[in-house]
Amino acid sequence: MPAALKGSAIKPKLEGPTVAVSVKSVNMVYDGVHAVRSASFDLETGKFLTILGPSGSGKTTLLRLIAGSQRPTSGEIFINGAAVSAVPPHKRSIGMVFQKLALFPHMTAAENVAFPLKMRRSDARAIPARVERYLDMVRLGGYGTRRVHELSGGQQQRVAIARALVFEPDLLLLDEPLAALDRKLREEMQLEFRRIQRELGVTTINVTHDQREALVVSDEIIVMDRGEIQQKARPSETYRSPSNAFVANFIGVTNFLDAPDGERRAIRAEKIRIAPTRHGLVGADTIVEGIVADAIFEGERVVYEVRVASLGDSLLRVFDHDPSAHSQLEPGSAVYLGWTAGDVLEFKP
Amino acid sequence: MRAAKSAYPLTWRIMDALEAFAAFVWPARFGRAIPWLMLAPALLLVGLLVLGLWQIGDVSLRTLDTSTFLMSEAYTLANYQRAFTESLFAVVAWRSLAGSLIVTVVTLTLAFPYAYVMVRTSSPTTRKLLLIALFLPFFIGQVVRAYGWLIILGNQGMVNEALGLVRIAPIRLLYNYWAVLFGLVQYMLPFAVLMLAPALTAIPEELEAAAGSLGADWARTFRHIVLPLARPGLVGAGLVVMTLSLTDFAMPAILGGGSQDFIANAIYDQFFRTSDQGLGSTLALLLVAAGSMLVGLVFTLFGAGTLAVGRARR
Ligand SMILES: Nc1ncnc2c1ncn2[C@@H]1O[C@H](COP(=O)(O)OP(=O)(O)OP(=O)(O)O)[C@@H](O)[C@H]1O
Ligand SMILES: [Mg+2]
Repeated sequence: MPAALKGSAIKPKLEGPTVAVSVKSVNMVYDGVHAVRSASFDLETGKFLTILGPSGSGKTTLLRLIAGSQRPTSGEIFINGAAVSAVPPHKRSIGMVFQKLALFPHMTAAENVAFPLKMRRSDARAIPARVERYLDMVRLGGYGTRRVHELSGGQQQRVAIARALVFEPDLLLLDEPLAALDRKLREEMQLEFRRIQRELGVTTINVTHDQREALVVSDEIIVMDRGEIQQKARPSETYRSPSNAFVANFIGVTNFLDAPDGERRAIRAEKIRIAPTRHGLVGADTIVEGIVADAIFEGERVVYEVRVASLGDSLLRVFDHDPSAHSQLEPGSAVYLGWTAGDVLEFKP
Repeated sequence: MRAAKSAYPLTWRIMDALEAFAAFVWPARFGRAIPWLMLAPALLLVGLLVLGLWQIGDVSLRTLDTSTFLMSEAYTLANYQRAFTESLFAVVAWRSLAGSLIVTVVTLTLAFPYAYVMVRTSSPTTRKLLLIALFLPFFIGQVVRAYGWLIILGNQGMVNEALGLVRIAPIRLLYNYWAVLFGLVQYMLPFAVLMLAPALTAIPEELEAAAGSLGADWARTFRHIVLPLARPGLVGAGLVVMTLSLTDFAMPAILGGGSQDFIANAIYDQFFRTSDQGLGSTLALLLVAAGSMLVGLVFTLFGAGTLAVGRARR
C-alpha cells in the first residue's frame, strides 16, 4: 500500500485489523424528522461497506455525518481514533465521490485529478506522474487532456473516482455514484470499484439502494430502514439469514407465509420449486397446490406468480431457473409448489 | 360519434383552427424566413441607430460659424483637431476613463460578495431582505438619488451635522471626483449584482463542497473554483458597469457640481450651451469609438465565449 500523503491529518495505518471508522450511538434529527436513530457500528480498515436501504431511510444523512459535513444531534464518530468534528473539513483525509460527481467543468480530466494534490501541497514535480498513474488505474490513460464535458458519463465517473483516490485518503465515501449509469455500465463499474478498492486497500463506504450492487461489491452490508440500522453482516449472511422481515423483503424476492402463531415465516422465490405434477417435486417436504396467475419470461429465468388457495389465496412468486426442463406453464394452469423446511425463514414478531 | 367527440376536446379543435389559420397566413415554405422575421424589430432599431450615427458623423465634419451660428457647408477635420489638442478635452476624457475603470473595479468587488451571499444563503428571509435592499434604489431614479446624496453629504447635510455633534468641523464632501465616483458605484451596484447572481446560481454548490473535501480551504475554493466559473458573469457585469459609467451624465453633473465633467457632460455643453453641434457630434463619435474599443479589448482578452455568446464553453 502506498505511503500516506503528507498533510493528511489522520493517518495512523497500523498492521493487522484495526477499526477505521467507529460510529457511536449517533442520532440525527432535522426539525421533526428523525433521519438517523441511535446508529452504532465499527468498520475495519480496508473493508468495503455498503449502506443499503430504501429512499429516505437516512443513508445519505449517515454518510454526511461520517464525512463530517454535518454534525450529529447526539453521538460521536471517530475516524482512525480521532473525532471527525475535531478536524476541519479540508484537513480530513476523506475522498468523496458525490452523487452528482461534482467534477470541475473548467478543468481537464488531469487537472481535476491533480486538484487535491495541489491543494494538499504535495511536491509539484511528482504530480503529473501521479495523476497519470491514477488515470491509468481507472482505465483513462491518455484522456487527461479532455475537458469534463468531452467525456462520457462512465468516463466522468471514473475521473471522479480517480480524483477521490489520488491523494490516498484514509477513507473513501461514495454516495450512489453509479445511480445515473445504464445497467451494463453500472455492473462494469461495480466490478471496477471492487478491483480498485482491493488494489489500494482503502476503507470504503458506499451508499446505494441497488441490492445487487450491495451484494456484488461489499465485504459488509448495513441495511437501513427509517433511520435505523436493521442488520450489519457479510453479503452472504445478509442474504441467507436476514435478521428481520424488513431485510428479508428488501433483499431478494421473498414470499411471506401465513403463520397462525404470530411468528412471521417467509421463503425466497428461488427456493420454491414448481412442477405440473406432484412427481416433479420429489424431496420437498411441503407441497401446495396453486393456479398460475402470471408467467413472466425474463430470459435466464421465468418468474411465476401462483395463487395458492390453502395459504389464504396469497400470491407466491417463484423463480424457475431452468425453463428448458419443462415447457413454460401457461396462466390458468394448475401447478404444484414445493419446498423444504430448512429453507423457510422465521422471524420473531 | 359521441365517443370520438369526447376523445377530441374543444381546446384541441381550437388549436387546430389556429394552426390552420397560421398555415394560411404563413405557409410552411416561408419557414426559412422566420428567423429573419424575429430579428426584424432589432434590425430596425439598429438601422435607425446607424442612420443617426451617419447624421452625427456628417455634422461632426462641419464647423460652427460664430457670426451666423450656422454650420459650415464645407467638410473639415477641424473639430477632430480641437478634440485631440485642447487640453480640456484630454482632461475630461482621462477623468471619465479612469473613473469608469475605478468604478468598475470597486463595484464588482462590492457586488460579488453581495451576490454570493444572496445566492448561497440558506435563509429565505435573508435572501428576500437582500433582494429588497437591491431593488428599492431601482425605483428611485438616478437624478433623485443624486439629490438625495446632496442632502446627505452637503455642508449642512446629515453627515456633517453628525460630525458636528462630536465637534468636528464640517468637511467638504461634495463637488469632487470622489463624490462622483461614490455616486456612480452606488448607482451601478444593483446592475452588477443582478448580472452576477445568475452566473453564481449556475455554479453547483456541490463543486464547493467537493473542493473542500479535496483539501481546499475557503480562500482556495474561491480562487480556483468560484472565481473562474463566475468569469462570464464578471465580464458581463464589468462591461455593463464600465460603459454605463463611462457615458454617465447625471452623477458628474450633480455630485461634481460642474467641476468634474465626464464626456457626456462635455457633449451636453457643446450641444446646449455653446450650440456647437459640430464639436458635440465629434465628441459623441469619439465616445462611441472609445466605448467600442473597450468592449473589443475585453472580448479579445477574455473571448466572446465568456459571455456565453458561443454555443459551447471554451
Ligand atoms: N436537510 C434536511 N432537512 C430536513 N430533513 C432532511 C434533510 N435531509 C434529509 N432529510 C430527511 O431525512 C430523511 C433521510 O434522508 P436521507 O437523504 O438520508 O435519505 P436517503 O436514505 O439518502 O434517501 P435516498 O435513497 O432517496 O437518497 C428523509 O426523511 C429526509 O426527508
Ligand atoms: Mg441519498
